[in-house]
Amino acid sequence: MSLAYAEPVALLEREHELGVLQTTITTAVAGEGSGVALSGDSGAGKSTLLAAATDDAGSARVLRGACDPLSTPRPLGPFRDVAPDLGLGRLHLDEGAPLAVVCEEVFEALRTEPTVLVVEDLHWVDAASAEVLRFLARRLDGVPVALLVSYRPHETDAGHVARPLLGDFARLDGLTTLELGPLSVVSVADLVTGTPLDAASVHALTGGNPFFVTEVAKDPDRPLPASVRDAVLARAADVSPDDFEVLQLVATAPDRLDDRVLPALGVDLPTLRRLDTTGLLTRTRGGLAFRHELARQAVESTIPPGGGASLHARLLEALETIDLPEPAVLTHHALAAHDAARTTRYAQAAAAEAIRAASHSEAAAFFQIALDQLAEDAPDAERARLLQSLSFEQYMVSRLDEAIANIRATFPLWERVGDVAGLADAHQTCATYEYYNARRHEAEAQADAAADIAGSAGATLSYGAARAARGFMAYMRSDTDLALACVEEVDRTAGTLPGPLALKNEMVRDLSDLVRGQEDARGRIADLIDNARSHRWDELASTGYSQLVNLDVEHRRLRSAEHVLEASLPFTVDREIPICRHWQTGVRARLRFFQGRWNAAAEDAERVLDEKGMPIARVWPHLVSALVPLRTGTPASLPHLDHAWALAGRIDEPLRVLPVLSALAERMWMSGETDRRVTEDGVRELERLTGAPGSEWAVGELGSWLLRLGLVEKLPAPVAEPYRLAGEGRYDEAAARWHALGEPFAEAMTLGDAPDPGPRVRGVELLDRLGAIGTADRRRIELRNDGVAQVPQRPRASTRANPSGLTNRQLDVAKLVARGFTNAEIASRLFISPKTADHHVSAVLTKLGLPNRRAVVLRADELGLS
Amino acid sequence: MRRYIIEREVPGAGNLSQEELANIAQISNEAVASLGVPYTWVNSFVAGDKIYCVHEAEDAETILEHARRGGFPANLVTEVASEFGPHTAGVLAG
Repeated sequence: MSLAYAEPVALLEREHELGVLQTTITTAVAGEGSGVALSGDSGAGKSTLLAAATDDAGSARVLRGACDPLSTPRPLGPFRDVAPDLGLGRLHLDEGAPLAVVCEEVFEALRTEPTVLVVEDLHWVDAASAEVLRFLARRLDGVPVALLVSYRPHETDAGHVARPLLGDFARLDGLTTLELGPLSVVSVADLVTGTPLDAASVHALTGGNPFFVTEVAKDPDRPLPASVRDAVLARAADVSPDDFEVLQLVATAPDRLDDRVLPALGVDLPTLRRLDTTGLLTRTRGGLAFRHELARQAVESTIPPGGGASLHARLLEALETIDLPEPAVLTHHALAAHDAARTTRYAQAAAAEAIRAASHSEAAAFFQIALDQLAEDAPDAERARLLQSLSFEQYMVSRLDEAIANIRATFPLWERVGDVAGLADAHQTCATYEYYNARRHEAEAQADAAADIAGSAGATLSYGAARAARGFMAYMRSDTDLALACVEEVDRTAGTLPGPLALKNEMVRDLSDLVRGQEDARGRIADLIDNARSHRWDELASTGYSQLVNLDVEHRRLRSAEHVLEASLPFTVDREIPICRHWQTGVRARLRFFQGRWNAAAEDAERVLDEKGMPIARVWPHLVSALVPLRTGTPASLPHLDHAWALAGRIDEPLRVLPVLSALAERMWMSGETDRRVTEDGVRELERLTGAPGSEWAVGELGSWLLRLGLVEKLPAPVAEPYRLAGEGRYDEAAARWHALGEPFAEAMTLGDAPDPGPRVRGVELLDRLGAIGTADRRRIELRNDGVAQVPQRPRASTRANPSGLTNRQLDVAKLVARGFTNAEIASRLFISPKTADHHVSAVLTKLGLPNRRAVVLRADELGLS
Repeated sequence: MRRYIIEREVPGAGNLSQEELANIAQISNEAVASLGVPYTWVNSFVAGDKIYCVHEAEDAETILEHARRGGFPANLVTEVASEFGPHTAGVLAG
């Protein structure tokens, strides 16, 4: 592909960037993959630079994929471009393979030989491609692949689908971001040398944008054009009206004008040859395109008002004559041609394709288009089904408010067509979304409405599903009596249940047993999860994992929780069940928090909050984000506690309310500022919720904080064993129990509660070792106030080993080191290069303050790495 | 006009049905008609995973343009230098 402007000119002031790109390619070809993201405004020279860098890629194959400015992008667009060169045919997305399979396929195909993969214009990328690119970017290490991407910074703001990927480029080893700034006046002067143009005024006019400058310099004899639009159009000044219309057609096709539509459009070869003299067009990726997006926009701007629609209609008809046109492209043109019927039809096909590619945000956008364009007199059932599909896709991308509004909009439609089962199921779907949106009361009302509607119409299956949902919510709020009553009712009234419903009902029964303390239910739940997985009832399996691991953490079976997460998180990520992924990541944040692994906990919490996880999944992340800074002595973030408190009020479940109150109490104890939520709600709720099924740990924790604050005189009963022991004054035994459970912060707090100076000093030392300097300082003050002589000195940050500082990745590495694995073995297990493994091991040793890996093995138990 | 041999890699070409070949021929004819320059599709041979075509055009660029418009691969385009057969031996006898 040739370029719009002469390379030596456009590459002014880009020597450094070119060097970085060339080095990236050279090292990648040598087997050490890496990536560069080029950031620059339109016309900054990103494409030129990438072309120059890949020109001498040596023996490496160069693959180019592009993202297109469709209003809703083609799912996996850039990967469709490169699929044939990778020998992947049309990718398995057409067969409905999960995105994870596509990721693996692309990765495996790329690594077979030295490859430079260029993906331009990420500001237009689709969600699925962004995921695949992220997958690749994290695995470049040790494979012969250079990943080069480009984007416009001003069009990729927070919340843009490319943001996580661009974040990876900014953060991860082996990935770099380069910014292409404007040219200086000196370089502009170079470009206009020999012309009568004044460098300073050209610089001012063009803002130093290389494309603008070159366009202006190309035709110096004309008066200085007022804008680049004029500069571009000047090059087409001698083109006949018919030929100019072809330019407008190409400008109307935002990606490229597919070569195969040229016959239908009546564009012959002599026309193309004439247009070639303008230098505006290029042949690329099986189509005709403008050499530069700015040039396309300039030509597009000449289309008179109303003229666009007929151009789009011509393109649409031409596209319909070729084999396998892409529905996303057809939708774009149908919409612009004001052809409502075709738009609705193609948008639904495009949505189906997006779903197969797991691009749920695009799927939602297409369903929205289909709905907007649906004829007013379309059948109610058709409208209801579209709304339902839209609602589900919005739920898949955590847009719960819209999902709820749309599922509610189906209620009157189902009523009008008299579809009782449809209406009941819609209410039940609404119940689920409301629950994830942390509006439990509304969720229960919707589930009850579903049961009423289905029950009165004798729709037994819908009735059973509604009651099972109600049972699940009862279990969540520790109302195990109601939960089990629902389970029995479903068994009794719904007759022979379909497999998934029977399994869900059984799961609610076993979870209720587990929350009541029957630990043998764990095994039954694990069996149900396996059963669900073997039937590919992914959401059920994932829900089982989510609940099991949450109860394991709540009841301090921390090792079991670790094992569940090792199996469940990869599964949930792979099957793309957003609610469960965020929930489980939040639970892992809480687990790491209990283990005193502050960094890893904060990392998980931040991730859920950053990704706008659904409200129900945000409680633990908010608590962790508030308490980690408080304990480690960095400025605490108060809004997190307020958010958690607001959520707890809406969810109103004992096992959520109690921990949030504990967090508020902990902050009050640390800061000394009276908080009425603690002094009033805390004391009242402690009394009210004591004895609720499964609440022994949460009650013990809140009770302990209120006791420290002097707001209660003794711990209530029943509480879990370590709390009970401490309540009986057996602090050493209680601390030993916490130690055995793997919760060092609770161990240290228990020691600190003892009356004797000995354990109290040991408690402070343990807090210091944990990096809980904030809490330790608070305890130091108490000790000094009580006249204890030997108060441990505050450790200097630089001299302390800090096992709590390990990130999740370093934790994975540390565990393998503790098991005696070599760097090569660690590398192969974690799919990273030996060099990177080596790098991680060094970081782990530094953070642990240990001289060598042998020391890690010896102290694995003590460090909680076994 | 010059004569060209075009080699097209089409996996499974040998298994194409008559109906599929007819469909391809129609697309090809439309591409020829759309070029607006002299062009003749002489004939084609299906062999294993390849299709070999004999076309006539002014230059190789036009051959490629036809392929683009038809959505066909054109992995190798070679101008025919000369043609001969059993009868060519008669030249010696003469």
